[in-house]
Amino acid sequence: MVTGQGVVTPLGTGVDKFWAALKSGACGIREVQSFDTEELYITIAGEVPDFDPIERDLSKQLRLADKYSQYAGCAAREAVTQSKLDMPLKDNEAYRAACVIGSGIGGITTLELSYKMLFKEGKRATHPLTLLKAIGSSASAHVSIEYGIKGPTFGVVSACSTAAHSIGLVYRMIREGGVDMGLAGASEASLNWGTTRAWQAMRVLSPDGLWPFSKNRNGTVLAEGAGILMLEEYEHAKERGAPILAELMGYGTTSDAADMVNPSIEGASTAIQMALDDSGLAPSDIDYVNAHGTATAVNDINETRSIKRVFGDHANKLSISSTKSMHGHCLGAGGGIEAVAAIKAIGENYVPPTMGLNEPDPECDLDYTPNAGKDREVNYAMSNSFAFGGLNAVLVFGPPPA
Amino acid sequence: MDEVATKIVEILRKNMKDPSKTITLETPLSDLEIESLDLAVIVFDIEDTFGIEIPYNANEEVEAFATVGSVVERVQSIIGENKASGAAA
Repeated sequence: MVTGQGVVTPLGTGVDKFWAALKSGACGIREVQSFDTEELYITIAGEVPDFDPIERDLSKQLRLADKYSQYAGCAAREAVTQSKLDMPLKDNEAYRAACVIGSGIGGITTLELSYKMLFKEGKRATHPLTLLKAIGSSASAHVSIEYGIKGPTFGVVSACSTAAHSIGLVYRMIREGGVDMGLAGASEASLNWGTTRAWQAMRVLSPDGLWPFSKNRNGTVLAEGAGILMLEEYEHAKERGAPILAELMGYGTTSDAADMVNPSIEGASTAIQMALDDSGLAPSDIDYVNAHGTATAVNDINETRSIKRVFGDHANKLSISSTKSMHGHCLGAGGGIEAVAAIKAIGENYVPPTMGLNEPDPECDLDYTPNAGKDREVNYAMSNSFAFGGLNAVLVFGPPPA
Repeated sequence: MDEVATKIVEILRKNMKDPSKTITLETPLSDLEIESLDLAVIVFDIEDTFGIEIPYNANEEVEAFATVGSVVERVQSIIGENKASGAAA
């Protein structure tokens, strides 16, 4: 069961703000503010606005951490608060709780600034916290310290599928009886000059905007943020009268084992099928798919074909959207933020739009909810994550048990 | 083939599965089994070799990347432009 959720996104911090922005078709992609874009031809990104660690009242330890840990701390606090769990956990509960918060690349901005100091400015030493800030498990460690979570705590890494893999993993831990509850998701704050330069060299970024499934799409746009869920075993949640937002019903994961950048229909569609099988639902039960929808030439066609392969005729009845058109590609955190969008879609019976979709690519011919969200009964929703390396993770959510 | 073309062919060979294949200016890049990521590496290598910048987006079909000859032409024209603007400055 999902008993809490939290987000930090380019559309704002907090689920209410995020959801309102998705409903209104807002755009969180803007000219970069946080670093100098000198010599870059990519000068836009989805940066998290108004995030001051002191104003957000983060703990002293988190205030000294990398931004990616701060985003995780902030999103986790929202999820924990909503779950009404009594924190920090008592010892009998603490070892029965997990904290799996991944990141595509961890504290890379900390590293960039440190290397600049060493190599360019000729400084003799780096800040003593550099290593702790940079490591990819520091977000999960920080959050476990904040809430006294003493069970399985680590980060998961799978590029843009990181959050979905983390959520799927904790879901399985709960199902296997290893833990009763756990925070799961991911955080990313990798926007800086060097990272943009590296992405720019791959030639997959758009200099203009992120328009999934559109004929005019010309690449993805980097973004940052965090998306974290509190997952809890049903009886455990019921017993303490927890608010249940949704049920996590299925998880499917595969690897294409083929190519680092060109996705395969087989890998993606098998992951979708596995998630459906795991949930016990028929394809026709799914109402909404929050697509991976990166607006790269290859992803959107591959994803469309994969959906068609699994859903058959029902593919045309699905409401699909890529909310990345609004919040950008939040990389490792994307699947967590998008899982929240899927859960809200169920809770509010509303499908958020794909913005910037005036003229669809003829090869992308499904209902992507273009340019305006719509009211629709959403009982079951799917969230797709397909990462570089061909790493696929798919989640299926349903309503709280009656 | 002139010097620019020879260097470009050298760069292409480095990134081909089968570098022993015959390459002429008319050879389509698709015949060289070059995939999108290889192309990004090739463009980077060309930029580095000639000290130029080539606008290229893997999400768009670019005519300049149809054949070996069209790549050579594109590179030569960018080198020419750079020289012209350098002379003007």
